[in-house]
Amino acid sequence: MTIALKSTGPRQLKNSLAKWLITLGGISVLFTLVLIFMYLLYVIKPIFVSAEIDKKQAFEITTSENVASIGIDELKELSYVITDDGQIDYYQLVETNQHQVGEQVYSQSLLAEDITLDQIIDISIEEKLLVGENGQVQLVSPKFMSQFAKDIRTIVPNITYPLGEDPITIDQEGQALSLVSFAMNDERAVFVAFTKDNRLIKTTLIAEDDFSYDAAHEAVYQEIDTQSSHFDDILVTPDLAMVFARSGDQVFVYDLSDDYDVELKATIIPQLSQNRTKSLHITSMALLSGSSSILLGDSSGKVSQWFEVAGEEGREFKQVRTFQAADNQKITAIYTEQFRKSFYTMTATGELGLFYTTSEAELWRGQLNSIEPVHLSISPRADALISLSGKSFSIFTVENEHPEVTWSALWKEVWYEGYPEPEYIWQSTSGSDDFEAKFSLVPISFGTIKAASYAMLFAVPIALTAAIYTAYFMTPSMRRKVKPTIELMEALPTVILGFLAGLWLAPIIEKYLPAVALLLLFLPLSVFLTAYLWFKLPKEIKIKLPETLAPLLLIPALLLAAYSAFSLSPVLEHYFFGGDVRQFITNDLNIDFDQRNALVVGIAMGFAVIPTIFSMAEDAIFSVPKHLTSGSLALGATQWQTLVKVVLLTASPGIFSAVMMGLGRAVGETMIVLMATGNTPILDWNFFEGMRTLAANIAVEMPESEVGSTHYRILFLAAFVLFVFTFIFNTAAEFIRQRLREKYSSL
Amino acid sequence: MISVSPKAILQSQTKLDLNNLSPDQVALEIKNLDLYYGEKQALQNISMSIPKGQVTAFIGPSGCGKSTLLRCINRMNDLVDICRIKGEINLHGENIYEKHVDVAALRRKVGMVFQRPNPFPKSIYENVVYGLRITGENNRRVLDEAVETSLRSAALWNEVKDRLHESALGLSGGQQQRLVIARAIAIQPEVLLLDEPTSALDPISTLTIEELINDLKKQFTVVIVTHNMQQAARVSDQTAFMYMGDLIEYNDTNTLFTTPNQKKTEDYITGRYG
Repeated sequence: MTIALKSTGPRQLKNSLAKWLITLGGISVLFTLVLIFMYLLYVIKPIFVSAEIDKKQAFEITTSENVASIGIDELKELSYVITDDGQIDYYQLVETNQHQVGEQVYSQSLLAEDITLDQIIDISIEEKLLVGENGQVQLVSPKFMSQFAKDIRTIVPNITYPLGEDPITIDQEGQALSLVSFAMNDERAVFVAFTKDNRLIKTTLIAEDDFSYDAAHEAVYQEIDTQSSHFDDILVTPDLAMVFARSGDQVFVYDLSDDYDVELKATIIPQLSQNRTKSLHITSMALLSGSSSILLGDSSGKVSQWFEVAGEEGREFKQVRTFQAADNQKITAIYTEQFRKSFYTMTATGELGLFYTTSEAELWRGQLNSIEPVHLSISPRADALISLSGKSFSIFTVENEHPEVTWSALWKEVWYEGYPEPEYIWQSTSGSDDFEAKFSLVPISFGTIKAASYAMLFAVPIALTAAIYTAYFMTPSMRRKVKPTIELMEALPTVILGFLAGLWLAPIIEKYLPAVALLLLFLPLSVFLTAYLWFKLPKEIKIKLPETLAPLLLIPALLLAAYSAFSLSPVLEHYFFGGDVRQFITNDLNIDFDQRNALVVGIAMGFAVIPTIFSMAEDAIFSVPKHLTSGSLALGATQWQTLVKVVLLTASPGIFSAVMMGLGRAVGETMIVLMATGNTPILDWNFFEGMRTLAANIAVEMPESEVGSTHYRILFLAAFVLFVFTFIFNTAAEFIRQRLREKYSSL
Repeated sequence: MISVSPKAILQSQTKLDLNNLSPDQVALEIKNLDLYYGEKQALQNISMSIPKGQVTAFIGPSGCGKSTLLRCINRMNDLVDICRIKGEINLHGENIYEKHVDVAALRRKVGMVFQRPNPFPKSIYENVVYGLRITGENNRRVLDEAVETSLRSAALWNEVKDRLHESALGLSGGQQQRLVIARAIAIQPEVLLLDEPTSALDPISTLTIEELINDLKKQFTVVIVTHNMQQAARVSDQTAFMYMGDLIEYNDTNTLFTTPNQKKTEDYITGRYG
């Protein structure tokens, strides 16, 4: 007889097929995990990338007069220059069928006939103030429009005059203006100007109807009492609340809230450190978007940010942070973006700096051209810079999508506008456009840990004692019923748990707070009391009761304990807490109380993780070899000694990983914390207050965040942090379990 | 017929009359013992006296009740819920199934070693002193002394004295079984029950354990369950043959293996069944 060394066909095939399928399954699980990880990183990466500024194109303009102002449309297809005699010339930036790059495509005079232009002031990207020699001004807005002809989009100029084409008299005395600042809303337009004969004047135009469709207005003129005879910069805030007037190294802040009476509100005197060779001076000033902060540039290359904070003597301006924008060079100009807290600085040698205030980030520093450009302007979408030096017009692309985020802005205290001190704050959106987004991951990471800790505090003692009892003391027939029942709890949708916790449990806990505290005492007491009574019960009675039913005797005892706690609650409340515990806590103890608080979450989420911990721990305890327990019992140990010294010791790897798995689940749990916490991102261990967790934060905010925005990417970062959290817990659990299992492997 | 070793002949010289022992010769007396697993009766009316300072072996085919009987002696059957017992087992003339008997105290007097070596996942030292620690003995000197004495008695001292604080799980199977014996004798029991102590071991370890049993009977009364008839013949002074829950024959080992009284005993020891 010969032995067939080769297996027969179908058997061999099945074997290798199974082998490959299993390998494929394993690899694809790993691959998917890596893929999720990579995708998260891919979305997150751009927020940590620094800005980049590159020259895109340059051409010579054909305008022969001196240029006073420049601009660009938001799609970067058309740009314009305004000459100092009021002519606007448009230049093509992208090649089309009709036009070459750099070709002048349109030209028009902006000026009213009876006005001689003195200067042009850039109020904002889209608003230019033409200032005449006789104290008259014209507000012009060179905007753009898209036109479609045969499905081809062309950008065409669309010049508007928001306050009408007629010149507006700013100075009643007809003097020329050396400085003018302007801001408007639908009802009011405010001009603050410094005249050539050294008067600081304010002119308010009050709309008869609404400036958005009717330029008709009446004017209110007044002169401001000044503390200085000379001013270098004037800036009216876009909300028409204040004007900043810089005179040398001081900035006077005037309150504009009263139409007829302007008062000095504050004086900002920066502490300028004296350089060894020359004294330092303020050289430039700009308003940061949002109109709460001003930026002051000095002759040593420093830029400081100031805003109003609540101090000891009411609100006062404080220097909040400084940036070293250039090395020992004077900051000649500061340009701020329209919608974000970014700003550009320029020096006399043409060195450009790009910074973001909230994140205190230096995003870019370098030389645009070899010399300082005469004119520099930011595109409406802040994705390009245009400059004009001589006749050379240059366009630079700016890649600066996410300047708000730095590692330190995410994890360290940040001093936000209007706050008295640096804080950890998560507040991603607000009703206002001028809002400073606050992206600190600290409060939400803390919330995750807080929720998980309270849940574990509630779940671990219950789950582990239940597991010990079920695995070690319970009769097998009862265990067969109890274990699947508790495991079934795991199948309970967490949305239902969250719903019940938020809408049913939270009000009950609030109403019967003393009862909840009493339950903590009464429930264990009733268990011990029942156990003691059972122990003392005569054996004749015990034998008559089926053994499996004995533990059920606890149910009436527990119910009785709960009932007495709840009926004692109003009595306690009446005699000890003046009738209202909630008020007692908030007023007498000075502890904040929310209805949806950590206590509710602890109970609800504890309820959700109990089955996880119970099931694994019970398996671990139950699978302790019987010969070990018999060994201990045969040595004269009691059941309890055997449990503590042998069973729990041997089951410790399993118990440990059960707890870690429970923790991992509590950290990642979303629905319960979403519905039962109130979602306030606060940093406080107080269990009468809520929290916002990473998971709930993602669930709440993802639907409303714009795809690709900083907020969107930070939510992905939050997801990544959550991933890392659970990854750490599970890996630690697995690692320690492996170590312990190795130790007990030969059992 | 089984060939009887010279040692067995030597033992047979101290032959006792098992049916007529004086009270100070008796270690254990089993009287009319019935045991039921639920409805099924597993032991039927067992009566026997186990003499002091001797090795008594229980033999019989699988499921004959020999291990069950052994477990009755230190009440390990209490752990089985459906198990009911009638009859008496007397230790020092006192029925161990009396209500007031402290089972833990009983088990300290009647130690037991199981089929599979079952050291705890602790160090060798902690394994040996486990029985002492649970009674509250924490005096280092007493424990150290107990460890050395018991390990020497279990013939393990020389092999492990340099690694007393290493895990007991690192020992070989035979060493583990001797450690378990050392652990059992550390609390100075009167009776030592061995439940097939060598069935999970290799021949050389088995031989060591058998030699150990021979030494142990100087200090303890040893009761051993084995399905290995040669082993029973080699180590025991008395042998009880059990079949289907009945005690068929109980006699001194030499007699039982050479001239059995019962047909069933003869069939078993000649290998007709089992």
